[in-house]
Amino acid sequence: MRRYNSHRSECKFETLGSIRLADSRSRRVSAARAKSPASNGHAANGAVVKRRAKLAKSASADAANDVEDVQESHDNPAAAHAEANGSAGKSRRRATAQSMAASQRDISVSEFFAKNRHLLGFDNPRKALLTTVKEAVDNALDACEEAGILPEVWVHIRQTGENRFQVGVQDNGPGILKQQIPNVFGKLLYGSKFHRLRMSRGQQGIGISAAGMYGLLTTGKPVKIMSKVSPKKPAHYYEIAINTKVNRPEILNGKGEGVDVPPGAAGQTAMEKHAIEWVESDHGTRVTIELEARYQRGRGSVDEYLAQTCIANPHVRLHYVDPEDNATEYERSTDELPPEAKEIMPHPYGIELGQLVTMLKDSKPMSLSQFLSSSFSRVSSSTAKRICETAKLSTRANVHRVGRHEAESLYKALQETRIPPPSTDCIVPIGEQRLLKGLHQVVPGDFYVAVTRPPAVYRGNPFVIEAALAYGGAPSAARVSLEQLTDFVQESDARTLRQFLATTFQGIGMEGANKIVKESGLGTRQTPSKLKPKEILKLHEALQSVNLEEGQTMNVQRFANRVPLQFQQGACAITQTVVGTSWRAYGLTQSRNSLPSGPVTIMVHMASVWVPFTSESKEAIAGYPEIQRELRLALQAIGRKLGLYMRRKLKVRDAGARRNTFLKYLNEIAEAVTVIKDYPDSRTKQLYDQLCAVAKVKTLHADLSVDKQGNFVEGEDEQDFGDNVLIIDREAGAAAAGAAPGATDGAENEAVGPASKRSKSKAKSSAKKRG
Amino acid sequence: MAKKARSKATSGGSSTATARVKLNDRDKKTMGELHGLAGGVETAAEKKRDPYLDIPSRTLSNVKFNKAKRFIEMGNLTNRRQLFNLSQAKAYMQTMLVAKGSKEIITEGKTASLRQLFYMLKHTIKDTKEETFDDQTESDAMIEDLEVTINALREELHVFASNRGSIVGPITLIDSGDEIDCSRMGSGGYSIPSIVEPYVMQFKNNRAKFVLHVEKDTVWRRFNEDKFWQKYNCILMHGQGQPPRGVRRLLHRFNNELGLPVYCLLDNDPWGYYIYSVIKQGSINLAFESKRMAVPGAKYLGLRSIDFARCELSPSVQIRMNDSDVKRAKQIAAYPWFADKKPWQKEIEQMLKNGFKLEVEALMSKNISYVTETYVPQRLQEQDWLD
Repeated sequence: MRRYNSHRSECKFETLGSIRLADSRSRRVSAARAKSPASNGHAANGAVVKRRAKLAKSASADAANDVEDVQESHDNPAAAHAEANGSAGKSRRRATAQSMAASQRDISVSEFFAKNRHLLGFDNPRKALLTTVKEAVDNALDACEEAGILPEVWVHIRQTGENRFQVGVQDNGPGILKQQIPNVFGKLLYGSKFHRLRMSRGQQGIGISAAGMYGLLTTGKPVKIMSKVSPKKPAHYYEIAINTKVNRPEILNGKGEGVDVPPGAAGQTAMEKHAIEWVESDHGTRVTIELEARYQRGRGSVDEYLAQTCIANPHVRLHYVDPEDNATEYERSTDELPPEAKEIMPHPYGIELGQLVTMLKDSKPMSLSQFLSSSFSRVSSSTAKRICETAKLSTRANVHRVGRHEAESLYKALQETRIPPPSTDCIVPIGEQRLLKGLHQVVPGDFYVAVTRPPAVYRGNPFVIEAALAYGGAPSAARVSLEQLTDFVQESDARTLRQFLATTFQGIGMEGANKIVKESGLGTRQTPSKLKPKEILKLHEALQSVNLEEGQTMNVQRFANRVPLQFQQGACAITQTVVGTSWRAYGLTQSRNSLPSGPVTIMVHMASVWVPFTSESKEAIAGYPEIQRELRLALQAIGRKLGLYMRRKLKVRDAGARRNTFLKYLNEIAEAVTVIKDYPDSRTKQLYDQLCAVAKVKTLHADLSVDKQGNFVEGEDEQDFGDNVLIIDREAGAAAAGAAPGATDGAENEAVGPASKRSKSKAKSSAKKRG
Repeated sequence: MAKKARSKATSGGSSTATARVKLNDRDKKTMGELHGLAGGVETAAEKKRDPYLDIPSRTLSNVKFNKAKRFIEMGNLTNRRQLFNLSQAKAYMQTMLVAKGSKEIITEGKTASLRQLFYMLKHTIKDTKEETFDDQTESDAMIEDLEVTINALREELHVFASNRGSIVGPITLIDSGDEIDCSRMGSGGYSIPSIVEPYVMQFKNNRAKFVLHVEKDTVWRRFNEDKFWQKYNCILMHGQGQPPRGVRRLLHRFNNELGLPVYCLLDNDPWGYYIYSVIKQGSINLAFESKRMAVPGAKYLGLRSIDFARCELSPSVQIRMNDSDVKRAKQIAAYPWFADKKPWQKEIEQMLKNGFKLEVEALMSKNISYVTETYVPQRLQEQDWLD
């Protein structure tokens, strides 16, 4: 189902809401034709659509599809018989065009996704919860940023039944107009972001409606939307169910009209009457979805998603109440809204012939040269002239007169002509400083580095790759508090302790888990949820004491347009490029075809007007060569700085080792002298101290020895790491920023920054507001 | 007299670790040297300098053949061993430890074997997993370093090696006060102690006319069984291959103090030549002791390269020379103390020409007592030896 994610697929949707076959599936069409020569093209199209819907995925399904056709024809023996007579015994006809046409009809896109919910990230209850929160939060942030409002988001998750959760997400965005609400939330593939080239989190207009549809399917409860445009105007409250058959919203409350909530005190009573949840705000939107789900912390959880979102979006204030009524506040670390991303025209290099034809057809009547310079990015009138010359077309030709053949030569000319790369003001990278800040606040470490690559282009779409790295610091497992651990243990459904450890904490791996279990003295096969408090205490101690640094693997956090990607790590171009980069050159250990090991967290962000995801659930980035190249360059850039740091660290350690070598022998020598000279024992200590003093001077001298290039090794301490490096000197307890004044204020002595303070108190106040 | 001697010996042994024995002059001198060593560390520490030891180099490049004295002498080259040098720090520490161990046994009036000292000083360094000494070869080397550094002999450090080599013959020795009649030693002979200095061993009632030194224990037994030493009135010794210091020192003393000529019966191979060379001129490693150990007048009786033909031996007793043998033989031929001796050059040349080695036991293929009854007497009679 790549057609939905591909940016160029716009032209394929002639009608929203239902899929008509575009002629590009010609292979299947011709196959159908070969089988039933009598059937007309349209009917064959319909058949193909139907088959695709049944077995949507792979080419290998074709064979199975044909078998299905056989089955159908057997249901209609008369037709099959008739065909057999007609075709001179060559191959028996199983169905006539007429019999087939009877079952050929449109498929609603909502029907399709209702059957293929995994494509949208609703494969299992746990992921469904995350996807729902994610889609809602992404939409909220997009809306706020587009309106130029500093985003403030409330995420409330409440358990309503054994496997039922109610997710409420509210923002302080501009709100949605009354007439648009039903379509936005109750219709798949409806949205503002699909038809434009501009960097945003959402792209297709599937997400939130799909979440609503999933909720409806699993619980039968409608999506509840409350939206307020202004404090003076009435707010609107809707309960919407999606009609999957026709992909159309159905408003359930207020006799199909929704309910208006007047401003002021009258509104309060109205809200109470309709049991509307709303955190008081001048404007904004709240969407509430009840769905079948499961809540679990750890990797791939809602909590992780929100924390990562806050790394990539330091301007967001987020209030989160989890199903256990724990409130977490993520304070924003900057009041600066990222600059608004500009919308751009498509770049000629990024379009396809079919798209060009559609554009020509849809264009207002104008000259070809006008068309080129007005519909494409970076095409000036002189460039347009050159293109027309190459295509051997007149610049003044009417666009509607351009035929199929001419369009093809025009397309070729577009690709051949040198056109500057698209303007890049449509992308807003997070920025090196903010990356450093964000990473430092969430990941404890000793060394931070961030790099933002200059914009690049894949298939006409500009994009920017950013990467940041944190090295050192205790792994997440060692930082967990006893209280948190107790929660984790009780929530876990892991069957063994080892499994629990490996799945709950990042970067432990089975090896590390084994070590911890051994250290704790508990049984490997023990069920975590049955652990006694004393045993949890033991486990906690083991977590603190075991050195996990050796077995730890690099923790890769992926972001696309500021949205964390949590699943399908292996399928993602980012992970693949990280694995493909040789980290050994930068002082990390790495086995072939695997992530490097060490206490490293790496964060990679791709910002683009169109992020090429491998599926609609937006979990992995497709590996276009241009993207991989930029990824590699970004990783190498941070790798080089890491290498500098590692080498320096190694050197310091070497000097330390040298000193230690001397120091450990000094006591022996002092003792020998004392014995030989028959001194009292106290002389040993005195002599030892004297020798130690000499040793310090001597090793200091050794530190100053020159390296191969003839530079003083000591001088490397002043070595310039370049911009955007943050080095934390734990001994000094202070942070030193390498030529990056902006980074200093974010560098607190404490490993955990102020923005993610997790208050474990029961959030009574917010619970009240929920009514 | 024996009783008196024994009481003297036990007085040293009965002293406890706390009770100090009275040091003799030699010990006092050694202690002085050790103090100097320790003092060097103290001075360096006070002056914030790098403590170091200058250890005379014990390599071929630092030995000279003194033509007048006819033995190897040590040169003036020294190696500086610094504490604050990553590759020398441990060796420095070990040297100091050996000095400490030696001081302890001196003050207690005891002697310790190389191995005992190794165990005395071997321990895990505080707060590490590192041992002071990993094996005995390390401590042995340090003891030799200490000897040359403070110019004290091993026995002066109260360290001895295990007994190696035996002696039998018409002489009475007084070893630590005990009288040993070497003519009444049965089949095993008297085992030669590591320390045979005059203060430990005195000679008495020597009736021997010369010393016959053989390479191996087994050959020695042949001579002892055949009562060769009775017949020819000689002292019969062996050093179990390369003779240890005790054996060489004893040879030196017999030669020097009693004026007995020394004859060596060794295998006809490069190793045998080298043993002769060490007895005669001293070894490179212990060049500093040459003047107390070398027997420049020692003669090489056999076996000779010409013996295969001369004694009409069967070809089956030949042992093929390998490459390293050839190399070693050429090396020995090039030693300055062999270089200008024509008979020796001829001898080694002959061996290389033969391409085989001969052991003394090869003579037994003719007759079990051929060596004692024919070969050696003939050589002595004809004064047919190499010098």
